[in-house]
Amino acid sequence: MSASTGKKKGGGFLSRQAKSKTVTEEELLKKDIITPDDVLMLSKITENYLCPTEANIYGIDFTRFKLRDIDSGTVLFEVAKPPPSDNGDDDNYDTEDLDPNAGRFVRYQFTPQFLKLKTVGATVEFVVGDKPINKFRMIEKHYFREKLLKSFDFEFGFCIPNSKNTVEHIYEFPNLTPAEIQEMVDSPYDTRSDSFYFVEDKLIMHNKADYAYNGGC
Amino acid sequence: MGLLTILKKMKQKEKEVRLLMLGLDNAGKTTILKKFNGEDIDTISPTLGFNIKTLEHRSFKLNIWDVGGQKSLRSYWRNYFESTDGLIWVVDSLDRLRLQDCKQELQSLLQEERLAGATLLVFANKQDIPGALTSEAIKEAMELENIQTHHWLIIGCSAVTGQNLLEGIDWIIDDIASRIFTMD
Repeated sequence: MSASTGKKKGGGFLSRQAKSKTVTEEELLKKDIITPDDVLMLSKITENYLCPTEANIYGIDFTRFKLRDIDSGTVLFEVAKPPPSDNGDDDNYDTEDLDPNAGRFVRYQFTPQFLKLKTVGATVEFVVGDKPINKFRMIEKHYFREKLLKSFDFEFGFCIPNSKNTVEHIYEFPNLTPAEIQEMVDSPYDTRSDSFYFVEDKLIMHNKADYAYNGGC
Repeated sequence: MGLLTILKKMKQKEKEVRLLMLGLDNAGKTTILKKFNGEDIDTISPTLGFNIKTLEHRSFKLNIWDVGGQKSLRSYWRNYFESTDGLIWVVDSLDRLRLQDCKQELQSLLQEERLAGATLLVFANKQDIPGALTSEAIKEAMELENIQTHHWLIIGCSAVTGQNLLEGIDWIIDDIASRIFTMD
């Protein structure tokens, strides 16, 4: 699998397009505080997480993710985190030895049909801790190799203490040529995304995902 | 060029419309939101925070915010007023007992400075259920005719059958568009 690591810059479509204002991951990692403007200037997927998991001091926890096809009304994918058990047997026990980044990386496997959808709705559900949150903002970028497929920038604003919230983005799937679709199907996990979350313009969570579209092949 | 003009022009580019949906608990706000977006409405639990949908509708980018209506949550409503173009107030047309409550909550919202420029749509929901008050009766009970400060409309609807949801949303978008965007 040929990832884009170590490739010289300057060649890709995106880097040409955004030449005037780009920043590298290395530059951002030197900063104490990473802002929305910083990650908006990134032109490719990051190799590292740009903040530690401890930066999430607000108890923000994603509890559900759902994808549906708007045209047919079918749910394509749904995953929910089980609610914490009552017997005090916290699941942190079991996960302590595992990769500390396990909770912020997801791998998705879809069929090639997925890339032919026109309109999809992506829902996330999240809970927040007992502090009110101001200016909660999400920036998400999806890439196939060096090419930016889709980016979201959405400000939730205020979150009520101890609340459970949902947001569904309904959007047109990016237009892909048959050749591009084939390439994406043939290159599992070269489609990747970075999700950055900010509170009051400070990065507090960074999640990653990668995607394969060769399911059922 | 005044600041407001500049802001209007900036917004016009993206044609982004922010709708805030409020009302007492159990009025049907979340069901309306889901039905309008073609989502399953079989299992809906009380909203303990917000539900947001962002979508494209008639070349507008709509952001619809549904914030929980329980009494303990109402003091947080104010955190969602900023930049609201349209307020959708949802009434449970069967809830005669709380109609005065409902009227008072709406009246205090209409005095909010940050909602001063918002168009008001009142959804008289649950019209599919026998015994529902008509939108005419609700208009009188809530003294909507006295509203001078906002463009407003009341319309009977059913979140379950979908009756009049599109009509209501289209009306509020048209009214907002005619105020904010230059028609092209």
